[in-house]
Amino acid sequence: MATGGGAYSYSLTVFSPSGKLVQIEHALAAVSQGTTSLGIKATNGIVIATEKKSSSILIDDSMIERVAVVCPNIGIVYSGMGPDFRLLVTKARKSAQAYWKIYGEYPPTKVLTQEIANIMQQATQSGGVRPYGVSLLVAGWDVTRGPTLYQVDPSGSFWAWKASAIGKNMVNAKTFLEKRYNDDISLEDAIHTALLTLKEGFEGQMTEKTIEIGVVTVPDPAELEAGKVEGTGRFKPTFRKLTEEEVRDYLSL
Amino acid sequence: MSIMQYNGGSVIAMVGKDCVAIASDLRLGVQSLSISANYQKIFPITDRIYVGLPGLGTDVTTLHEQFRYRVNMYTIKEEREIEPQTFAQLVSSTLYERRFGPYFIEPVVAGMQKLPTGGFAPFIAATDLIGCLNFAKDFVVAGTASEKLFGVAEGLWEPDLEAEDLFETISQTLLNAVDRDAFSGWGAVVHVITKDKVVTRTLKGRMD
Amino acid sequence: MPDGSFAQQPQQRQFNPYTENGGTILAIAGADFTVIAGDTRQSEGYSIQTRYAPKVFRLTDRAVLAVNGFAADGNMFVKKVKQRLEWYRHAHAKDMPLRAIARLIQTMLYAQRFFPYYVYNILGGIEEDGSGAVYSFDPVGSYEREACRAAGAAQALVQPFLDNQIYFKNQMAAAGQSHPLHLPLSDVLAIVIDSFTSATERHIEVGDGLEMYVVLAKGRSSQGLDGLRGAQEISTTNDGDRVFVIRRELKKD
Repeated sequence: MATGGGAYSYSLTVFSPSGKLVQIEHALAAVSQGTTSLGIKATNGIVIATEKKSSSILIDDSMIERVAVVCPNIGIVYSGMGPDFRLLVTKARKSAQAYWKIYGEYPPTKVLTQEIANIMQQATQSGGVRPYGVSLLVAGWDVTRGPTLYQVDPSGSFWAWKASAIGKNMVNAKTFLEKRYNDDISLEDAIHTALLTLKEGFEGQMTEKTIEIGVVTVPDPAELEAGKVEGTGRFKPTFRKLTEEEVRDYLSL
Repeated sequence: MSIMQYNGGSVIAMVGKDCVAIASDLRLGVQSLSISANYQKIFPITDRIYVGLPGLGTDVTTLHEQFRYRVNMYTIKEEREIEPQTFAQLVSSTLYERRFGPYFIEPVVAGMQKLPTGGFAPFIAATDLIGCLNFAKDFVVAGTASEKLFGVAEGLWEPDLEAEDLFETISQTLLNAVDRDAFSGWGAVVHVITKDKVVTRTLKGRMD
Repeated sequence: MPDGSFAQQPQQRQFNPYTENGGTILAIAGADFTVIAGDTRQSEGYSIQTRYAPKVFRLTDRAVLAVNGFAADGNMFVKKVKQRLEWYRHAHAKDMPLRAIARLIQTMLYAQRFFPYYVYNILGGIEEDGSGAVYSFDPVGSYEREACRAAGAAQALVQPFLDNQIYFKNQMAAAGQSHPLHLPLSDVLAIVIDSFTSATERHIEVGDGLEMYVVLAKGRSSQGLDGLRGAQEISTTNDGDRVFVIRRELKKD
């Protein structure tokens, strides 16, 4: 680094005298300006949800995707910078496929989360780059750990949550979730709780066009043992995004 | 003379009722000269998985080390033991990495697979030297006596053999097959794997 | 050449007079009978030429010959052996004994030492002392008398199975007992059928049909054979050794 480009080609992420990495703090600031996203783990699944608001009515919002499928058992949602998220989704998908090529199955949620966290950590230590301006909620199901929900921050640190929120309204949303959450909540209840949480501090009308929901469902062991979806040789996906119709139905209840 | 026959040796695996068995001969030779009568080519991977590596001796060692490394990394990273099916896939992808300069080994995998409902199912698989997987429901064979093993196994094997009967069947199959193969023989070893234990027996065979 | 001249380069052309037509033959001797069997598929490379081409032939009432390898050579060889046996009958007014046929076959094969019949022969039948016998030959006439022998495409599959089931190789007799030298006819037929179904399962050149010839020593009761499905007597006299043929279907894929 210092040998090639001279004294000013240091990495942008250097420690401040107080021991902080200021760039990461700035990245977190970018996240907390982003739209609110949240995730809730239920007994029989997980819901992740987010606001999807466009700055102009002229934008075709069918193009915007804030909840992404990474592989058939894992989905993610973000708060922060859209382009950074898109890049991470691409990397995560590639990582999941690379795992499939080696082991003939998709990665457990924790392994994929670790993989994403590593990518984000590297951006805090490499020269010539900035940290990713996003926090992620990773939700997935796997045979060893069942349904799990992780949050990944720009620093590359990650934790498992029962319920969490990120973005603009995260403090309020978390307080709200703390009040609402219990250990034996069902997926249906969790979806409604997610909608209620989003509604707090939601600006404007909450419709199927302005929110996005993804759900993890826990497969029945017997069904799992019977295995593959007929004719395809593949297991039934355990993560999926709700369609606009489904979201509308949940909103009307 | 094919490099697959340079050191000789054969492996077979069979499915039974709630058990699997994997067996091999113990010969190591250099073409027609026999060097060792105690050359193990079956290795434990976990408590419930064994892999047999018949083929070129030097690659037996290298591949075994390779698998040990990769399985250890998997165990640490994923905080769980690898399952037979997953290990078979790992074997396949490891071999295919060397598609155009292969290891001269045709691995055989045998193990008890954990089921989502909590039980265990017998699992066997074999690949060619570039990792093309064969998941058989009955038996798989590999090595210099593979043709003979196919013939005898096809005649002796039957479904749902109990552990003791499976041991007898795989032993007879191996012994009689390697006795007609100049590159295999000089004793044999048999592992019978059930969900909670592995029984290993060394067999005496013809020493010619 | 383009200018109309002839290229004066040496050219080599080759004609290969042999092909290999697949299939497998097998013979097992009992105390006072012999079973000689062969499948009926004839192939060249990956093509099946016919699903019914006999490889096993009755020579006399006490001798049956199975021929495997290059079918054209095989058929011609059988034709010539039959011709020599007829001459023998004209000269001596009796059928040639089995051991004499065996020696004749050696002589005929060795006569072609430098342009051999590309065939493996197995001769089965009853000796003059009434015992069942099998003689196996290589293409140039080396031969020996044995209790059982497999030859042809699936020899490697069948022979070790026979070692185990006929010679009881690698099996220990119960304390104070010994293995039988000869098996009863029903056991032998069962082993022959198992051998061919196994070979059919794993070898592409074996299948379609199975012909089993059974030669019974003079005076031995045909008990069990008459009742057997499709057993057909083809002996010419009733007071000597007797020959039967049993046909079975094999898988055609």
